[in-house]
Amino acid sequence: MKNNIKVERAIQNITQAKLAEMIGVSRQTVNAMELNKYVPSTVLALKISEIFHKKVNEIFFLDETD
Amino acid sequence: MKSRFLFSNKYKPVGWFLFLSGMILGIILMLNNINFPNWEVNVFPLVSENDFFSSPAFEWTLNNVADEIASLLVIIGGILVSFSKTKDEDEYISKIRMESLIWATYVNYVVLILAILFVFDISFLSVLIYNMFTILLFFMLRFHYVLYKTKKGVADEE
Repeated sequence: MKNNIKVERAIQNITQAKLAEMIGVSRQTVNAMELNKYVPSTVLALKISEIFHKKVNEIFFLDETD
Repeated sequence: MKSRFLFSNKYKPVGWFLFLSGMILGIILMLNNINFPNWEVNVFPLVSENDFFSSPAFEWTLNNVADEIASLLVIIGGILVSFSKTKDEDEYISKIRMESLIWATYVNYVVLILAILFVFDISFLSVLIYNMFTILLFFMLRFHYVLYKTKKGVADEE
């Protein structure tokens, strides 16, 4: 699965640390998601979509390997 | 995030203190053939062999409890260090935790299998002694190493 958290974060001008605080996770988790090393739970994906005011499938998408 | 079976973060420093005290005591004992320090206390063995080396079961007898204390400190301390939440425990860290536990179990048994194949007689007793603690030790090393690496990754990002 891929995502454009990094892009959305840049648009809203939010740092990794700030986003981590807003969704209640560690900074490592935000970093790992952006590097596509970690697929977040549905709960976390929904929290991220709320922050960016976008639908979940506009932020997260399947890639060829899924 | 709710995580089952984990201790609160405040037990982690307690765990480190107990674990390190136990390790130091254990190392001192190992260097002195488990004769020093000699803290003899009356104990009540529930199980024993009937031979020259053993004290009979169900009778009070003197025993150096330093090795028992070291073992308990290392195990209880190790459990607390391993299974206390990190300050920022979340789903990703829980994943790292679970993977490290699987990894530690594999490594522990690979080492044990090699020891079964290549270590015999009384030497194997030492293997059994170390094996009581190695699974926790391998877990602690791997889990904290991966946490350190991911933290460093975040620092490099900025």
